[in-house]
Amino acid sequence: MAGPLLDRVGHDARIVATYISLGVVNLVQYRSDFVLAVVNGLITLVTQLLALAVVFGQTSELGGWSRHDLLVLVGVHFLIGGLIGLVIRPSMETMMEGIRLGTFDFTLVKPADSQLLASVQVVRPPALVDVAIGVGVVVWGVGGRGGALSAGDVALFLLTLLCGTVTIYSFVLALSTMAFWFVRLDNVLAIFQSLFGQAGRWPVTIFPGWLRLLLTFAVPLAFAVTVPSEALTGRLDLATTLGAVALAAVFFAAARWFWFFALRRYTGASA
Amino acid sequence: MTAITVDRLHKTYTVPEREGGLRAAVGSLVRRRTRQVRAVAEVSFEIDHGEVVGFLGPNGAGKTTTLKMLAGLLHPTSGEARVLGSTPWQRERSYLSRMALIMGQRNQLQWDIPVLDSYRLNQAVFRIPDAQFRSRLDELTELLELQALLRKPVRNLSLGERMKCEIAGSLLHAPQVLFLDEPTIGLDVAMQRRIRSFVADYNRRTGACVMLTSHYMADVEALCRRVIVIHHGRLLFDGGLTDLVHRFAAEKTITVELEESRADDADLARLVGGHPLERSATGISVRVPKAETARVAARLLAELPVVDLVVEEPPIESVIEQVFDAPEEQPSGQEVTGG
Amino acid sequence: MAEQAVAGPTTAGRPDFSRVSWPALARYYRGEFSAATANNLAYRGAVAIWVVTTVIQPLVSIVVWRTVAGPGGQVSGYSSAEFVTYFAITMLVEHLTFIWLMWEFEYRIRTGSMSPLLLRPIHPIHKDVCDNLSYKVIGLLGVVPAMVLLVVGFGGDVSDIGVAQVLAFLLALLLAMALRFVLEWVLALSAFWLTKISALNNLYFSVFLFLGGSFAPLAVLPEAVRAVALVSPFPWMLAFPVEVAMGRRSGADVLVGYGVQLLWLGLALLLLRLVWRRAVRRYSAVGA
Repeated sequence: MAGPLLDRVGHDARIVATYISLGVVNLVQYRSDFVLAVVNGLITLVTQLLALAVVFGQTSELGGWSRHDLLVLVGVHFLIGGLIGLVIRPSMETMMEGIRLGTFDFTLVKPADSQLLASVQVVRPPALVDVAIGVGVVVWGVGGRGGALSAGDVALFLLTLLCGTVTIYSFVLALSTMAFWFVRLDNVLAIFQSLFGQAGRWPVTIFPGWLRLLLTFAVPLAFAVTVPSEALTGRLDLATTLGAVALAAVFFAAARWFWFFALRRYTGASA
Repeated sequence: MTAITVDRLHKTYTVPEREGGLRAAVGSLVRRRTRQVRAVAEVSFEIDHGEVVGFLGPNGAGKTTTLKMLAGLLHPTSGEARVLGSTPWQRERSYLSRMALIMGQRNQLQWDIPVLDSYRLNQAVFRIPDAQFRSRLDELTELLELQALLRKPVRNLSLGERMKCEIAGSLLHAPQVLFLDEPTIGLDVAMQRRIRSFVADYNRRTGACVMLTSHYMADVEALCRRVIVIHHGRLLFDGGLTDLVHRFAAEKTITVELEESRADDADLARLVGGHPLERSATGISVRVPKAETARVAARLLAELPVVDLVVEEPPIESVIEQVFDAPEEQPSGQEVTGG
Repeated sequence: MAEQAVAGPTTAGRPDFSRVSWPALARYYRGEFSAATANNLAYRGAVAIWVVTTVIQPLVSIVVWRTVAGPGGQVSGYSSAEFVTYFAITMLVEHLTFIWLMWEFEYRIRTGSMSPLLLRPIHPIHKDVCDNLSYKVIGLLGVVPAMVLLVVGFGGDVSDIGVAQVLAFLLALLLAMALRFVLEWVLALSAFWLTKISALNNLYFSVFLFLGGSFAPLAVLPEAVRAVALVSPFPWMLAFPVEVAMGRRSGADVLVGYGVQLLWLGLALLLLRLVWRRAVRRYSAVGA
């Protein structure tokens, strides 16, 4: 029983590796985009630092988060934003365009997992700039807080970061899958981008109850940005960690189910 | 050896009925009115390994729907199909690895990266071993003259170059069944000819079964001995290309070369029974209904100083045009010959 | 269809909108506006999504500044309830003033869809004005309820807003709409020279975020930043109308504000004439 499954996983891994490595090999293609990404990344960074400066010009803590705690959060926000921009968002945009133009059919006639193919089809290396800025800002923030991080903290951070990325990926996939029904809603990802860009750069804990619930379970920004930041700022408890893992699993399973549900409709299997 | 078996394949779409205006839009949120559209109706045929079959029909006849079902992209409403022993819409990986779908109007190569890199992606997806990948790539590169193109990003290629690269990319896994949907659309005549001869060559060398749709009859004439004509979702004809012309051509053209062109117009009109007549420097030509061909030809031979007389079928384009113009009530069942 | 019918009487001649008569222009606007409205209604789902995105930033700002102020506290003269009102009105002004053309121009030039616009015997800015107005009118159906919800949901303070404030606000709003439209339309023209405009747009919006008053009321900003803001055109496109509505500016202060808005509008129009002429010349020279 394990044979075919292992074979499948190996095939999937090979496909992902090929896409990523080709993206990297073609870095040169994106040279001017890289310069642009650096400029844009720096502008965004300065904007966020200014926003923090304005806020902390009036107060010494925001809902229990110090200036350096928020710096860590800004870094994590950059990091996750970079990961989304590297593969997830460009692939999803291409998929929605493909559904509109009919080229999505080519994804379906290939002998591999359709969700996987749709999700990794475009790699945008310039987004790595945001990842790098994110790492830098996280280090800066952690350093500014003082006190050493234990290996356990770092492991928890990486675990929650992974879970957060999976959760966000599943959410964006489900959102994009709606293109099978609403072909004209090609800007549906704008809602996510706007929420992620605006609400995601503040700790979810400052939002009032109903909004916090919304940002945790409906649009899962809390587990993508706030929770990993909590791991680095000594706020993360066991329950939240387990919650992050569970939520990632639930979101992934639900998104995958929805994907195949949509495909059945697209291919007329359910009609 | 049968490669494709299609048995009473039927596809009906449910489409929402929309009226313009805000009120209708709001109304449709509450209760959607839908309509059934029949795209493919009870179509059956069989295709053997090694055959190249032209799949003809006017726009909206059901060609693409049928191809999509055979490629596993659509489930039929009813009916069966087996391609290479699999039911296509079960989308088994073993089937998809032995099949290729090429659509002339749609691209599957990645826009920003070099062609060769797109091929490497296909290699990973189709699990082509390195040695096979290299040898097939070499072969395709030579046949389609791709050397200069492989390192260029797709966005820098011309339409014709891109199509060559698309085709090569779709054949790297050596598919045994090939669905070509308008592969030459928009290409210049020289490139059309290249693609045509390549497909013919690929079919000859690999024995792959090819199903081809095209609006260019030159493609069909060059590649397909057999054609399947589908119209309003129904199978109208299945047989040899020459039989198609025989069956559906309503007229023939009689061209006569004369010793001296002295016959006056009224005389000629009487001779050809009033059918449309054209004079040329050396003689005349006339289009007559099939049934009258022999009678008119005999009269011309008897009464004019004929040097030469030729009876021709009309060009295939005009026959096809005639078939497609037919209303839906056209006899379908009895016109179909065995596949 | 409506476009052709209206453009008909003015066909002869090259793009020169000074020669278009007012009645013809009025007819053109009616036709273009209804065409744009029909289009917006056809894409109402997409329009609804854009409207939802305009709610997000004010919502976040409200949450952040309420947290900073705390219950009962004040920040530079703003209580929690006043922050709510400030950002709720900001949302309305932002919706009515912002334009998206700095992204569209890049697309127009890249795809060549700029050429047909230049061939029409009317200045392309008129089409953009109509498209914008139509989108804004339709968007109000979502933005106004959202504004009310924000004020009610977060307990905004509207006690200082009376008829006088509303009337004074309307004029400031109109001037802000005109000023921002012209200024950002000129910014959009940079696409005639630059192929990648995202960095420039990004920079512009970052500056606008602080100097325009959309991240925080000007009073909350550090002294130096506020000083820079007041000599820039940015607060006159956003913060000024909001402050007028909230009754934070009154009497002569409002009149001076109108004057500054008019001054900037005049300068922006001058800039528009200058840049547009060069842009068209460049476009025809490059032959894109």
